[in-house]
Amino acid sequence: MLDPRARLALACGWGGTVAAAGRPWTVVGAYLVLCLAVAGWRRCAAYGRWLRLVVPMALFFGALTVWAAGMEAGGVAALKLLALTTTFFLFFETTAPEDLGSSLVRTGMPFAAAFVFTAALQFVPVIGRKARAVIDAQRSRGIRLEPGWAALRHWPAFLAPLLIQAFTLADELAEAMEARGFSRPGRSFHRDFRMGPADWTAVAGAAGLLAAGIGWL
Amino acid sequence: MTAGLPFIRAENLSYAYPAAGGRPVLERIDLDLGAEPYLLVGGASGCGKSTLCRTFNGLIPHFYGGRLSGSVSVGGRGTRDTPVARLIDRVGLVFQNPEAQLFNRTVAREIAFGLESLGLDRREIGRRIVDAAAAVGIETLLERHPHHLSGGEQHLAALAAILALRPRVLVLDEPFANLDPATVLGLRRVLAGIGEHGRSLVVCEHRLNLTAPDAGRMVVMVGGRIVADGPPDRVLENLPSPWGLEAPLAAAVSRRLGLAPLHLDLDQIPLGPGAREMLADLTVPPRKSAACGEMVLEVEGLAGRAGDHQVLRDVSFNLHRGEVTALVGANGAGKTTLVRHLNGLARPLRGRVAVAGKETRRWRASALARHVGVAFQNPNSQFFKLTVAEEIRVGPLALGCLDENWLARLAAWLHLTDLMDRAPFRLSGGEKKRVAFAAALAHHPGILVLDEPTAGQDAFFRRALADLLVRLAAEGGAVLMVTHDLAFAERCASRWLVLCDGVIAADGPPETVMADPALMRRSHLVPTERFRLAARLEEIGAAGSGGMPCGRRGRV
Repeated sequence: MLDPRARLALACGWGGTVAAAGRPWTVVGAYLVLCLAVAGWRRCAAYGRWLRLVVPMALFFGALTVWAAGMEAGGVAALKLLALTTTFFLFFETTAPEDLGSSLVRTGMPFAAAFVFTAALQFVPVIGRKARAVIDAQRSRGIRLEPGWAALRHWPAFLAPLLIQAFTLADELAEAMEARGFSRPGRSFHRDFRMGPADWTAVAGAAGLLAAGIGWL
Repeated sequence: MTAGLPFIRAENLSYAYPAAGGRPVLERIDLDLGAEPYLLVGGASGCGKSTLCRTFNGLIPHFYGGRLSGSVSVGGRGTRDTPVARLIDRVGLVFQNPEAQLFNRTVAREIAFGLESLGLDRREIGRRIVDAAAAVGIETLLERHPHHLSGGEQHLAALAAILALRPRVLVLDEPFANLDPATVLGLRRVLAGIGEHGRSLVVCEHRLNLTAPDAGRMVVMVGGRIVADGPPDRVLENLPSPWGLEAPLAAAVSRRLGLAPLHLDLDQIPLGPGAREMLADLTVPPRKSAACGEMVLEVEGLAGRAGDHQVLRDVSFNLHRGEVTALVGANGAGKTTLVRHLNGLARPLRGRVAVAGKETRRWRASALARHVGVAFQNPNSQFFKLTVAEEIRVGPLALGCLDENWLARLAAWLHLTDLMDRAPFRLSGGEKKRVAFAAALAHHPGILVLDEPTAGQDAFFRRALADLLVRLAAEGGAVLMVTHDLAFAERCASRWLVLCDGVIAADGPPETVMADPALMRRSHLVPTERFRLAARLEEIGAAGSGGMPCGRRGRV
């Protein structure tokens, strides 16, 4: 398996190529390769759930572009957004945030900064669960927070408990981390990451891809 | 540090949180600990137990600030001058809420985090991960995501993460609060093993029947002060009601039998032939109203899922007016998922749920709230008003059924009258729960569902809740209580529903359910102390003759 930093470079290279590509068939090809990779890594179920969130966004973005620049540009814009998000979906599905953090620390990033980055990634689903719990609790006592315009009238009933719980959770986590030595100097790492020849080849490939995307595709 | 000498010493310790307006939470505490394998810290909610625990590893004052006077030293080093991170291999603290202390993607990484802080080499980290997981029996969970585990498994993962650091003193705050009875038994065995290996345990817990038999020393706190300190059998000889503690049944049995010192493990008390007559009244099942009015909720062939997993396969039961029912089962059995189906938050995959004769899938959950009031486990998920009075009115105002007389009665029943002008977020855990119950009842629903109402709550709260349930049943309400606290369920519920393997595996009075050992084992349940005592006495009766019980006569 490639080092997380090499994988990050590949994801950035592929994403950059997609973003820079001018020809529609290049974007279609890039997206098809990504779909094959999703299937190869057996992430179809998770990808299906991800698409439910991303497709409406892509359609909205595409529709705006159709209105401003025409049909073909709109289709390419929607597909680019889909391909870009799929690139990073694959990256985060196949790379543990802690591994990415540890490898970045080896590159020289301070541990605290790397940890904040990885913790932020991990706590998106936790906050999502808290949000669902708030909605459930409020609906259970008669407050209309079902999807729809009526929910907008009751935004304080959703936002206030969620924000307070998010702050409380942050405090509790900081306390738990400190109780396990977060700020103790001299940290070691259970997994050691070193860039090998394969990783450097991947980085070079990513750079080549990006250059090709900008120059010829 | 040699075993037998105190490792942590608190001298004339007083502390006030920064936001408490100078009101001390701890007052003049003198305590030496670490010489005994197991110290139990008891006391009502808000007495300062958790605060005291946080002074042992320096989180107070380093993390919380506030005003601390006196001193705490760990292995001879003052905590005031030693950073928290420097004490992690001396004092390990496992917090009450496991979700808030698990922040890695796998259990193995969770355990590794503290070991990496110690700067250990990779091989040693790997060894300790395996050892800690084996010590608490979670070897098979190492590659699982901590947030995908059940509450019991999360607790064990948090414990393993601290245990791996090999601290000299291990402090656990309410370790049994959210665990099913069989998991509690397993955890008790794990803790007993830790104490035998030269380390010391400090356990804060309300339920003394789960801790006092294992502890060598017990400290009781009231209002931030230590009011009793000694062997548990001595401390429990006299337990004044204002302390907010409930003595284990074993203490009452010992007293009846004239045993001195008190035996605190009920199953170890020697019972002679005459014990049956002497203890007869202690084994009488609590009297509950079994009035059965009209049916208000009907569940038929319900299948449902939590996330991607189908946890309910074929659930059927009814609820009636005037009846208190307990829903019991293992951690992760699907109890909360079932509750979400009762008030329309979740839609059935198959089968039907009908409230007042109408199927829930035709109602919005917010409209169904008029008939089904639910108080979830975490009351913080709902508070958003500035005062308790406003918070309680939210539901009735949204549903257009505000009844001030009913709210006044509710406030009186739940002892909230003096708290009406307070901010809900500033209340204690027990007070918050009472506000959440009031909010669930404020629009006068015919059905009340309570999810783990007694978790982490003291004897005062349990008494108040028991009174409330009796009143609601007398007024014709139907109550469904989801709980792991079988002693409370036995006291208040005339009927138990056992959820196991996605179906209601038993539906009947507590005595009938507990008399089926195979079912109890399968459902991770353990019979209550009262039931076990009655069973032992029955065996004695069946064996034959009367005579003197073991132990002295007297004080009968």
